[in-house]
Amino acid sequence: MEQPPSAFRLSRVEVQLGGNSVLRDIDLSIAAGERIALVGPSGAGKTTLLRVFTGVIGPRQGTVEVQGIPIHQLKPKALRKLRSRIGFVHQDHSLIPNLRVAQNVVAGRLGQRSLVPALRSMLWPNREELEEAHRLLERVGIADKLFQRTDSLSGGQQQRVALARALFQRPQSLLADEPVASVDPARSRSLIQLMVALAEEENWTLVVSLHDMELARDFFPRVIGLRKAHVFYDGSPQELDSTHIKELYQLEEEPHASST
Amino acid sequence: MRWHPTRRARILLGFVLAAGVAYWGLGLNLSGLLPKTGGLHLAGDFFSAAWHPAFGYESTGFVPAEAPSFLLKVLHGLWQTLEFAIAAISLAFAFGLVLGILAADCFWAERGSGWQVFRWLLRIVLAAMRSVHELLWALILLAAMGVNPATAVLAILIPYTGTLAKVFSEMLDEGDTRPADALKYLGATPLRVFLFARLPRSFPDITAYAFYRFECAVRSSAVLGFFGFPTVGLYLKQSFENLHYREVWSYLYGLILVVILLEFWSSLIRRRFVA
Amino acid sequence: MKGGNPQIDALWKSRPRSRALRFSAWFALALVGCVWMFSNIQVAELWNAHRLENLHRFLSTRALPEPLRSHSGESLWLWCNQQMQAYGWRGLEATLEISVFAIVLAGFFGSLLGSFGARNLMSAHPFVPHATAGHGDCSHALDRVAQAMRILCILLRAIPEYIWAYLLLAMLGPNAWPAVLALAIHNSGILGRLAGETIENLPAEPLRAMTMAGATRKEVAVAGIFPMALGRYLLYFFYRFETCVREATVLGMLGIVSLGYFIFEARAHDQYDVLLFLVLLGGLLVMLADLVSDLARRWLRRGV
Repeated sequence: MEQPPSAFRLSRVEVQLGGNSVLRDIDLSIAAGERIALVGPSGAGKTTLLRVFTGVIGPRQGTVEVQGIPIHQLKPKALRKLRSRIGFVHQDHSLIPNLRVAQNVVAGRLGQRSLVPALRSMLWPNREELEEAHRLLERVGIADKLFQRTDSLSGGQQQRVALARALFQRPQSLLADEPVASVDPARSRSLIQLMVALAEEENWTLVVSLHDMELARDFFPRVIGLRKAHVFYDGSPQELDSTHIKELYQLEEEPHASST
Repeated sequence: MRWHPTRRARILLGFVLAAGVAYWGLGLNLSGLLPKTGGLHLAGDFFSAAWHPAFGYESTGFVPAEAPSFLLKVLHGLWQTLEFAIAAISLAFAFGLVLGILAADCFWAERGSGWQVFRWLLRIVLAAMRSVHELLWALILLAAMGVNPATAVLAILIPYTGTLAKVFSEMLDEGDTRPADALKYLGATPLRVFLFARLPRSFPDITAYAFYRFECAVRSSAVLGFFGFPTVGLYLKQSFENLHYREVWSYLYGLILVVILLEFWSSLIRRRFVA
Repeated sequence: MKGGNPQIDALWKSRPRSRALRFSAWFALALVGCVWMFSNIQVAELWNAHRLENLHRFLSTRALPEPLRSHSGESLWLWCNQQMQAYGWRGLEATLEISVFAIVLAGFFGSLLGSFGARNLMSAHPFVPHATAGHGDCSHALDRVAQAMRILCILLRAIPEYIWAYLLLAMLGPNAWPAVLALAIHNSGILGRLAGETIENLPAEPLRAMTMAGATRKEVAVAGIFPMALGRYLLYFFYRFETCVREATVLGMLGIVSLGYFIFEARAHDQYDVLLFLVLLGGLLVMLADLVSDLARRWLRRGV
């Protein structure tokens, strides 16, 4: 029996943005269904790494495989199809603010349908779609916001809508780029908890980048620490002791080219 | 930081100099500001009429018996003004939206450079459309196609389409890109990203700006009356030539009222919609 | 919207909606429908055979430049040159000068109108909201001044430039003043309102700090508002400059020697080739002004 392919596998990946190496020599393998917290100081390359997973940013060197497919060989259409199977929750402002919540949720399947039905479901969502959107919003805890204007919601609620949109997408994995950066501490805890619970129910591969070590330690069996474009730590949070953390977040002595 | 004030001062000084050169070039002098002989009298009559605008015809001598009452005539003139403006702006909005989308950079994202050439050609055509004033369009169209209400509509329509399309394309390009990026991440094609993120995101701004241009179209339509179209400008000109200044003020107040009402309406929309 | 989860129907019924917006949308649609159905404006009229024939005749005879029409062998270039010597240069110069002088005047008066119309500046304690200490009467007077300024702005801009120029021409006689003043008056109204909005939207903290430190209103205006608001105000200034050039072209039709004057003359003499030539010339000037104001605004966005 062949082993099932990793959800994401990076080998010797190097990424340059504007002449700076943002990621260097990255070797990573993430199995399907794993839940991973990505930690590290700002500018360490967390966002870039997540983007590399979706093929939005291509590596300068090395290979990126998603579900066993090397994505640099994919044509735009195939790449979009691959993306439609990956949910992505952004830091903030990823929803269309002047549409209703239902419309934003329904947008989740935009990558999977042809234009006319997609247009129709955005303008006049039918009963099944509304029922489904409502069910998903119930699961993320804000069912009563179904027809509210999205920009009338709080930051935390908007992230829940983004989660519902990802759920509507029916993805195989969920990537989240600092999803709680603009949410207050108490609410961010429950949001991460919700994300992890959903990942377990749906059997998603979950990769969340976080600033808060405590959240990483409490909810994720595996933590990847990035520092200065390198993987600095990869393992269980239990073994990640305070000296590691101090080193991880230690201010760099020499001024880094991309730090601003 | 120390050179900032001098830069600001230099900008202002540049304006004053430019104005001075223009003043000298035009051969103006301050005595030109004094009303010409008889002008003072006229000015006095004209401005004192502002305090008691007419509610009926000032002299009944030339008015045919079956003519409508003066106030009806004012209302009619204002409604005609609005008619031309509404007809023109409704078409200009439709054309401007389509052309604005085609002229927007983000609509052609990830397309070949051939389309970029098309986009630039379109932008030049739009610039040409709006660089000729609506009154000049009216002059040309009158000569080319003859007198017809639709000529006036077309004269307003052409430059307004150019302006709306340019501004719409800028609004589409300059809005927040993060919602659009999010749709890209979930596998949407560039066209869909445009239709589902860019367009709805800019729609409030687009509508608010169209409303503002409607207000301008009302003014343009009023001025077209000076060329014989039956808007408030025509009646105003006739009354002024007959030295019926109180009637002139009635028309002016009517026009001001309409513009204020429109401004109130559009600010209401902007408050609810954009903020 | 029937069947299934009744909760969805309840949510749909209680969805937030703005009555003002819905009313506006329906009213606007009704107006447009009304005009297209009941007025005597029929765009299709423009494309009937008779009018198309007119258009064809116009384009193939009257609108063609003289040398092309008469096959006289005279070069087109020479003809253009003649038009430029006779009308073009003079018209361009006057148009440009009228618009420059007018926009500078408008910029000056607009900034005054705007400053005196800004509610946050025209209070007993500039930029300190809800300050109640003393100055009750003074505050009322200032309020009233601000209100008067805003109304004045509305009156100035509600009347089109062309009508202002027409009225002024009768009083001042045929020189450039009516055109300059007409443009300056209308644009003062517009710039006055925009300046007022700019000042009201300024970040209040630094200005409040100045007031708290004991600066007078005049000092706040000169040392605080002027440097903070200038950049944004100039954006509007250049945007209006472009429109000023457009309008200055046309105001000549009232007998003031700008491009429009020659355009009108050409029309009176039935020289439509000259007319089109001059219209194109004016168009080029406006496109140039458009470009200049675009560049200026781009430069300003990087900060003054």
